[in-house]
Amino acid sequence: MRQPEFEAMEREELELLQLERLQSTLTRAYRQVKFYRHQFDRLGLRPEAVRSPADLSRLPVTTRDDLSENYPYGMFAVPLRDIVRIQSSPGTTQRPLVVGYASQDVKLWLGLLARLYAASGVTPEDILQIVLPPGLANWRRDLQAGAEHLGASVIPDASLSFAKQLMVMRDYKTSILVTTASLARHLLTVMERMDLTAAALSLRAALLVAAPLAREVRREIEAGFQIRVATAYGITEVMGPGLAFSCGQGEGLHFSEDHFYPEIIDPESRVPVPAGAPGELVITTLSTVAFPLVRFRSGDLTSLLAGPCPCGRSLVRLGEITGRTDSIFSVGGIKVHPDQIEALLQEVMEGFLPRYRRRVVAEEGLEVLEIDLIVAEIFFSDEIKALEGLCRRARRHLQENLGIDARITLKEMADVG
Amino acid sequence: MLKIRNLYAYYGSVTALSGVTCHVRPGEVVCLIGANGAGKTTLLNAVCGLVRREGQIVFDGRPITGLTPEAIVALGISQVPEGRQLFAAMTVSENLDLGAYLRHRRHSKEEIRRDLERVFDLFPRLRDRLSQQAGTLSGGEQQMLAIGRALMARPRLLLMDEPSLGLAPKVVEDILATLLRLRREGGLTILLVEQNARAALKVADRGYVLETGRIILSGPAADLLQDRQVTRAYLGRDYKEFTEGR
Repeated sequence: MRQPEFEAMEREELELLQLERLQSTLTRAYRQVKFYRHQFDRLGLRPEAVRSPADLSRLPVTTRDDLSENYPYGMFAVPLRDIVRIQSSPGTTQRPLVVGYASQDVKLWLGLLARLYAASGVTPEDILQIVLPPGLANWRRDLQAGAEHLGASVIPDASLSFAKQLMVMRDYKTSILVTTASLARHLLTVMERMDLTAAALSLRAALLVAAPLAREVRREIEAGFQIRVATAYGITEVMGPGLAFSCGQGEGLHFSEDHFYPEIIDPESRVPVPAGAPGELVITTLSTVAFPLVRFRSGDLTSLLAGPCPCGRSLVRLGEITGRTDSIFSVGGIKVHPDQIEALLQEVMEGFLPRYRRRVVAEEGLEVLEIDLIVAEIFFSDEIKALEGLCRRARRHLQENLGIDARITLKEMADVG
Repeated sequence: MLKIRNLYAYYGSVTALSGVTCHVRPGEVVCLIGANGAGKTTLLNAVCGLVRREGQIVFDGRPITGLTPEAIVALGISQVPEGRQLFAAMTVSENLDLGAYLRHRRHSKEEIRRDLERVFDLFPRLRDRLSQQAGTLSGGEQQMLAIGRALMARPRLLLMDEPSLGLAPKVVEDILATLLRLRREGGLTILLVEQNARAALKVADRGYVLETGRIILSGPAADLLQDRQVTRAYLGRDYKEFTEGR
């Protein structure tokens, strides 16, 4: 345990710490962010109204659309001159997602990542290799910085071919692999092609991030590499991967409650559900300075598991992520909203949106978005080249804008039925 | 050791604290910083029972919001008030004796004498001035006497209000160093209010930033020292005053 004084804190003390941090966060948000001031004022509430964490449920939630409407700097709680990082990602709306970090936030972020690594059993003795797609650039940077902060020897992602990645893994004696479940499975298939066995590697554990990890996938990867698999939960809006982490002993992922306050609400009524019941995870930041979030709707469906964990941590545990409240889906760990796909297709089709079908498929473990465009008369052409060009353009457009791999085919109406 | 939840404090009809939650762990040095009128002194006074207050204050597991100032001192909380508030016409010796006032019935003379020796050990100059009137001491000596007087009540939690007020930088440094020694040797826990935020953050483990009756920021003292908003709002001016000796 990297920070037992917080990770294994007495619940009563933790709750007092949460309350004092929560009250100061709400005061700062109210005094420094117009959006929150309006939200509070609309209900005739002041930050003083929150006298216990349970009172949070009286406040309105914050959504991804709210962040988008306040693009780019509207949600920042400190002047720009105090911001040391303006992190951008494609987001799931029409505008990029912007998150500001002050210097203390960077420190907090590094601490959370080191905590996650320590819980995953990573030590400064480890050689840690990061294999993440360019579309997960923020995760790459987060996980690299965190491992360096911990003192491990880090092999950052170098955009090598998978075969070369495996060669590096074998020859550099990598002990920890950091990747997505999708890429881990793909690496296993490449290993098979290369006749490389798990025994030839020095791999000890893998940290799989960016998408919920299904039990059977975890087992498959553990068996394939003959290693232990750790996982983490995080969202870009709230400091990335360090939000919750597995401990290797109990069920679920320990949620860093000393810095983030979790609630589970009914996504329809927005009312908190009884303890332990499933619902949508809503997060309030307790320590971040530049970008406080009050009751941010994660969109992830899960539950909270209270009670002691064999590992000794008192932090509440996040249960399995069972789905989403919105239509956002993941392609190899990259979150995508169907509206984004439609907008991008429309741009390629010069404003016309054809009927289409989409699904995420795994090709040798690698997740790919398959899109069937239903051919309509308006762009039906005998010139195969023109159609192929269209597919290529659409594919490139999705790659460039979202960082996802897409396979686009034209289907005639008759094929679809 | 000290747990404060949703504390409100009032001066007449004026609300000076509106829902403050904070804590001090055993052996910690915690400082409160903030502008004039932010509520720092009020918070200390509320803990001591010197202002009208609502909310929860728990000291060593015991709620003290309903207790009188005397009962609170008896539990082990002493305050070194702002401006020292010594009895100027009384001697150093008499002032120190008053600090042990509540103990005279319960503790032996021998014990009290031992504590007096400890105070002299911390502040040897006080021994030299035992029979001098407190009002004739220098500012630094008065501050030493005020701390000494508070220590005579044998507190476990010492509340200090502006110990650097009106003192030369070197004296401030000495006094803060003594505080650290008290913590190290005597396991004393200290809650410190300081206008001189930079000096306070340098000796404290953690800090809270108060702004108009609410805590707006908290964290390890080293982090607050680096916080640019804190630097601008509370360190720039103080630092200038500090280096210019006020």
